[in-house]
Formats: sequence, structure tokens, C-alpha cells
Amino acid sequence: MKRVIERLLNLLAFLLTTGRPVSADEIRTTVAGYDQDNDEAFRRMFERDKDLLRNMGIPLELRPTDVWEVEFGYMVPPDQYRLPDPGLTDEERAALWLSAQVVRLGGQPSGPEALLKLGGGAMSGAGEPLAADLGPSADSLAVIFQAVADRRVLSMEYRDRRREVHPYGLLHQRGHWYLVAAENDEVRAYRVDRGSGYTSEQPAQAFERPAGFRIRDALPSLPWQAGEKDLEAVVRFDAEVAWWACRQLAEPAVEQPDGSLEARIRVANPSAFIGWLLGFEDRAEIIAPEELRSQLLALVAGDGR
Amino acid sequence: MSKTALRLTRILSMVPWVIANQGAGVDEVCRRFGYTERELLEDLNLVFVCGLPGYGPGDLMVAYVENDEVIVDMADYFSRPLRLTPAEALGLLASGSALISTSQAPEGLDRAVDKLASALGIDADEAVVVDLSGEPELVELLREAVAATRVLALTYTSLGKGETRERLVEPWSVFTTLGNWYLSGFCRTAGGERVFRIDRIQEARVTDEVFTPPPEPPPPEVRYTPSEDDVRATIRLGERARWVADYYPVDVLSDDGSEMVIGFSASDASVAARLLLRLGAEAQLVEGSETAAALEDLRNRILARYQAE
Repeated sequence: MKRVIERLLNLLAFLLTTGRPVSADEIRTTVAGYDQDNDEAFRRMFERDKDLLRNMGIPLELRPTDVWEVEFGYMVPPDQYRLPDPGLTDEERAALWLSAQVVRLGGQPSGPEALLKLGGGAMSGAGEPLAADLGPSADSLAVIFQAVADRRVLSMEYRDRRREVHPYGLLHQRGHWYLVAAENDEVRAYRVDRGSGYTSEQPAQAFERPAGFRIRDALPSLPWQAGEKDLEAVVRFDAEVAWWACRQLAEPAVEQPDGSLEARIRVANPSAFIGWLLGFEDRAEIIAPEELRSQLLALVAGDGR
Repeated sequence: MSKTALRLTRILSMVPWVIANQGAGVDEVCRRFGYTERELLEDLNLVFVCGLPGYGPGDLMVAYVENDEVIVDMADYFSRPLRLTPAEALGLLASGSALISTSQAPEGLDRAVDKLASALGIDADEAVVVDLSGEPELVELLREAVAATRVLALTYTSLGKGETRERLVEPWSVFTTLGNWYLSGFCRTAGGERVFRIDRIQEARVTDEVFTPPPEPPPPEVRYTPSEDDVRATIRLGERARWVADYYPVDVLSDDGSEMVIGFSASDASVAARLLLRLGAEAQLVEGSETAAALEDLRNRILARYQAE
């Protein structure tokens, strides 16, 4: 490992200081550690090293070496390599480390790399008192985050078609990640795990977020409050599940003499509402409106299959 | 990250810090970057033989320890650390934002998140927002019981069968995932490790009895612990039902990129039945006679209720 690290440090020092793209051939003859006898051995070594550097987040760029774009070479632009100094105090670094330990993304607590880059610090402290898991997959999120940070157009597969959106921000609420974005000026929240094939497009700074935009406004706090409809559902919950319904509802409910509960609930997304209500099995019933009753009955009866 | 990449990252972080803090003590550098003294010396020796082409005395970096002080010089090109990857930046901002939304944020976290976001050129309040607020009222009491290692008496309604029982539980941790809050611990009543959904706890009382927690409690996560009594079902998920595989602990049996076939296990057939009912045409039961029967029963019960009038 020692020789690999020496070679990589030499390569990085060279590419950060040349100020021009350099060809693989020049690297082979100039940078210590790359003077291989045969072409294949060099090629394999160089490919491996490039992968490793790119995986670390080092901006290793391929650019034309002349104006005719006949030959290409490598460089690491110093302004893109460098971390702008956020000027953190030790206390602030410790706070970041602690929060990265108790809140996990992608199933794991964050590694020490990010904190090392920020200047290290006392990296101890257990995963309590709060442990939170923000979901299993971080790969799509990183792509989306980059697009948000650079204000690039984001392209994605969502609900059976490819869309191009202006990504305004990422919101995690009630256990899910949402991308808040505008498609043709219409702002909405997309569930990140329902989309796929996220790619950010060139160039950066491609759009402006509207003034006064607030990401939290894009998503109501209960899932059935997000949608196009505006219905008032009247629901009867049996006595044995009344406590459980009460805990989850935003609206006050009226207790009946037999202990059951009658609730009036605003519903904007009927499918989300019915999905939730089915968790009560036959201990809850939509009394009105007829539209919601028949939609639930159609689903339960298995129509449309 | 590979060991090589991790070691290189640490070198590329330590060098700029030492350049900015010349003469810092060996102890300080070790503590800050998680080095043992020997590891630090090894990395400094390595830096010492690297530099720019020519590789003569004027081209190589200077790195050594003298009088217990760390010195690095001739390394201007490494005077700033490597930028954060998008995943690293997101991880820090998301976890910071999450903790700030609760009552558990440590001193300085909000300042740290603001500074980090502005160094990255983004608006901390709008680019990444994690909202973990709305924790159930019981959370505080349960946390206290975990901290004091006191046995809890719970009235709990199970998600599967929906039955309510009194339980004695040795609580290990309180955590949140996928929008729900959980308590993990050893359930004396069931005689095994269990994870409880906190919103299904109707009542909780901290008893006087102190227990000895395991030296290393399992990580706080919703694990599926297979048992012989489990009901298994094989379910085909259409494109719009793929989220199920992220939301429940399942075995993915096949996945062609749009359709997915999963193995679903739960302590009671009603769990899969409720899921299938709500997914409607977006999912089909491939195999599992108990689940099929539970689904049929659930269907009939709901239809009967709606047709009763």
C-alpha cells in the first residue's frame, strides 16, 4: 500500500501544479512510480489509480491538450479540488460528528472521511441519545443533492416517463425522501424512492429558485393531505382502535356513547388515505362521501385485476 | 471506501491542517486525525519522499517531527483539504438538519450546519431539510428508562395480530426509521429480543427494577428475526409497488428492473394480507396459502361491514 500511496501523492502533486492537461504518456515518463516496462502494466495501473482518485471525489478531468482537440490529457483544477474553508470551531466539528453518528444515511453511520477533511476532531461519542435512520439508499440522493447545490437541470424516470426538472431541494419527512422540484414551472414533491435513473445535466447555475420559496410548504404533514382532491371524509372507528386513530389524526374526533369515534378528515389524496385506512381492517368505515366509499370497495373487491 | 483511499484521504486532510498549524504537538495531531503515533510517523515519512518531478531535495515535500512538534513544508499544493464528495456533504447536512429538528441537538450544531452550507454555496434552510419532529410523547420517558437501565412495564398492541398484552421489557434503545419510532430491547414476557413500535404502546411505566444491559446491544434497526412460526409469502410487485422492498425487510427473489418478486415473512398472515389489499392490482400473491386465506378473510370482513346497512 505504501508504494501505491506514494505514487498517488506524486501524481496528485503533479496534476495540481501543471496548469495544463497532461497526456498519459507524459505521466508515465514524468511521475515517479509509473515507469513501467510494458504498456499493458502501465495502462492497468493508471486505470486503477484514476478510479481510486475519482471515487475519493478528486476532480480528475480529461481535457483537450490543444485547440484542435486531437489529443486529450488529465488535470486536477486546484479551485475544484480545494474545500472552501467553512471556518468551523472545534465545538462545531464535534457537533457535526455527533449528529453524523446518531443519524444514519444509507444504513450506516457516516465514516470519518468528511470530518477529517474539515479538520478532524475528537471523534468519539456513542450513537445515543437519538438514533435515526434516513433510509437505505444514498446513491440517488447524492446525485440529486449535487444538482440542487449546483442548480443543474435534473433528469429522471418518474411514473412511466422521463422528466426534466429544476431541483429546488431535498426534504425528508415521515420516513421518506422527497425531491421538491419544478417541472415546467409547476412545483411539487416527488418521492425519491419512486423515481430512478437520476442524472444531472450541464451546465451549472441553470435556473433560479423563485424568491420566497419555502421547501417545507411543498409537503403537508400527513400523506393523504398531498394531492389534487379536496374531500371531507366522515369515518367511523370502532372503540378498540379509537386510541390508535386518535394518535394519527390531525383533526379532533368526536367520541360516541359506545366508545367508537367519528372523525371528519380532509383528504387530498384518496389512494394514500384508503391505504392508511385499510390498516384498520374492518374496524373502520368510511361513512361519506360515496366517492371514497366506492373507491375503497372497488379496491377491496379486487376490481381492475 | 478502500483502505488505500481512506489512508490517502487522511494524509490529504492532515497535511493541510499541519501546514496551517505549524508546530502542533504530536498528541494533538494524533487525537484530531485518529492516528496512533506510529501511524502518524509512517505517513509523515511517506509524505517526505513525495513531491514534484525532479524529485530532488528542492522538489520533495518536507515532513518530520522535531521536539514533539509536527512540521510539514514545501507542500503548497496540498495547503487546502480535498473538497467533500456530494454524498459526504449531504450526509453531514442531512444528519445535522435531522438533529436540529429534534430536541437533542448539541451546542453549536446549527452554526456548524450554516457555515458548512455557505462554504458549499447553498442555502442551509432550503436545500436539505430533514424533519424528525413529531416524536411520540412517550419517547422521552422511554429514553429515560434506557439511560437508567430500568425495566419497563408496557401495554402493547401488536401490529400483526392486533392483540393487546402487558409486557415487561428491558429497554436498550429508542430510534426512528422510515417515519416510525421504535423501542428495542429484551422482552421478558416473550423471552427474546424484540422491537416495538412506540405508537403501538398504549401505556408505559418505568419500574424500580434495574437490569444489566448487554455489553454490546445490537444496532438499533428494524430487523426481521426469522422464526419457525413465521408465515411466508411470495409476492410479485409491479413497478409502482417497488417501494415495498425498501419499506419492509424482504428477500428479493428476482428483479428485472421493473417487476420484482419478493419473499415476505411476518409473524402473522394478516400483515401480508393488508399489504396486498392496499396494493390492489399493483401486486399479486404468487405463493402462500395462509396469506391467501387471510386476504380472502380480510376482503370478506370489510365487504360485510360496508354492505351491512
